[in-house]
Amino acid sequence: MSRLIHSDPEAGACAVATHGLCKRYGGETALEGVDLWVPDGAVYVLIGPNGAGKSTTLKVLMNLERPDAGTAEVFGLDTVRRGPEVRAQVGYVPEHHDHGYRWMTCGRLLRHVAAYYPAWDPAYADHLSRAFDLRLDRRVGALSKGEARRLHLVLALAHRPPLLLLDEPTDGLDPVARNRTLALLAEHLADSPTTVLVSTHQIYEMESLADHIGVLREGRLVAQMPRDELKRTVRRYRIEVPEGWEAPPELRSAGPRRPGAGREFQWTLVGEEREVTDRLTLSGARVREVTTLGLEDAALAFLPEEVSR
Amino acid sequence: MIETALHPTPRPRDVLREQLRAVGLALRVPAAATVALVGLVTLLLTAELLREGGRVDFHPEHQMLPSVVGLLLPIAVWRGEARFGAGFLWTLPVERRRHALARVFAGWAWLMAAIALFVLWLLAFTLLSGGSLLAEETLRLLPSYSVRAPGPIDPAAVRSVPWTPQPLLWLVPFTAATGTYLLASALALGSRYPLRWIIGTVLGVFLVGAIGDAADVKWLAFGPSNPLESLLNGPYGLDTLFTARTESLKIDVTLSTGESVVVWRGLPDLGQWAAATLLWIGAGVLALLAAASRHREGRPA
Repeated sequence: MSRLIHSDPEAGACAVATHGLCKRYGGETALEGVDLWVPDGAVYVLIGPNGAGKSTTLKVLMNLERPDAGTAEVFGLDTVRRGPEVRAQVGYVPEHHDHGYRWMTCGRLLRHVAAYYPAWDPAYADHLSRAFDLRLDRRVGALSKGEARRLHLVLALAHRPPLLLLDEPTDGLDPVARNRTLALLAEHLADSPTTVLVSTHQIYEMESLADHIGVLREGRLVAQMPRDELKRTVRRYRIEVPEGWEAPPELRSAGPRRPGAGREFQWTLVGEEREVTDRLTLSGARVREVTTLGLEDAALAFLPEEVSR
Repeated sequence: MIETALHPTPRPRDVLREQLRAVGLALRVPAAATVALVGLVTLLLTAELLREGGRVDFHPEHQMLPSVVGLLLPIAVWRGEARFGAGFLWTLPVERRRHALARVFAGWAWLMAAIALFVLWLLAFTLLSGGSLLAEETLRLLPSYSVRAPGPIDPAAVRSVPWTPQPLLWLVPFTAATGTYLLASALALGSRYPLRWIIGTVLGVFLVGAIGDAADVKWLAFGPSNPLESLLNGPYGLDTLFTARTESLKIDVTLSTGESVVVWRGLPDLGQWAAATLLWIGAGVLALLAAASRHREGRPA
């Protein structure tokens, strides 16, 4: 069973917090004891393989799914008891592309959603629509996947919500549109004080924006920490071990050991480098090399090998 | 500690206004089709009146169309909406049960407007054809008529009675459509697969009757049909809601003289219509509230 590897929750305000969140669909476990902590103003990237529970987590935060156990709060508001108030704070981009009324035009859908958000900024909605090359006279049902995604982003951003919940926001976008989307998102974050919780497979896309990382695996949050801490503490060690060597139990592994030549193997471990090296040395292992990992490799180290490869 | 300035939720009247607009838009296509149909009927009726003369009397209570429209309207009102799961409507910042009821209300408001236009259309036809609104009519009354003995009728058993339609009956299309709309909305909102329920119920009734017939078990063969008959044509049945029984009380009979005439088994009873209407609309409201409660927030998983 995986242990949650995380830094202590910060003393400051948090935008999203879940406690022991569990969700099951029949016999399938979607979430198991998830304790998510998204600091106010953070860009939190939630990664995990398909079926890890990323979309379910976002749906629970929107109160679109009821948790079987545990609680979830957005800006201190309980998502189950105060769903409408929670959703008023959120700009939501769902995972599927058929969000909205297929028979409406894009312009009408924008006006429709605007009526629900007193903070809707029509000028900003126009700006975003132009920036995303959105044709407002087109029917939603006639949009391509990428166009629908751009429409969802305008709907999510135009009321300048304090929290953005983005489920695979670049899914379906071509490389040009993806870059433009990420640039607009960065521009939005610079202009509006916003917390972002984004679920993605493409962590490299969010690398320039992310400041917190969470890793979901089989419904469990196996790691969450600030980006700098992740990069500092997750390292790959090439070690040589004696016959019959047993790993010290206090070492925190982020992935399986990969065998190398002879008695050597590579192992991704979590902890301050000096501390980990001392423990390995004390246990009789010789540390041959320590490799610093990029953000993506560090985060993917927590996932099963077939996913992270 | 919360440092972020929180956004407000929308005002209920803004939500209602937007739902009226959105549902109005969703109904544009069926409305255009209905207008085209009514235009065609207008042309045909006008041609017939010009060719053969005659007149149209104002009897909106005779029309079944509003009930049928009320029954089908929820399909258009909920078009494109995933009523269960993470549907678009539920992602908006309004309590889900209230939001669903706002949409149902918006559909009802458009339904009433459409029926008002329909009644005005009938009124225009009546006036243009020289028909009467509330003129006294003479009805042939046959209170002793029995379905079980439909043989030739003795003309002496039929008596003529004067009857003046009550203006209150002009409300029948509105109340009938409201009743069917509420019940259909409850089904749409409370069930993931409403068509399966309707088809399953109808098949179930026929199946029980067929098994009873095949096994020659009378209580089983007629068991479902008696309550069904009461539900449809009983004093407080759907026919009373739909037409104040102005249709089911009226029958064609053959007199012993060989003449075929229309007779009335009884006169429409306003009290009975009012009671049936209250009963059906009350049941519709309760069913709708129960159905909407499936979507309420804050209930345990």
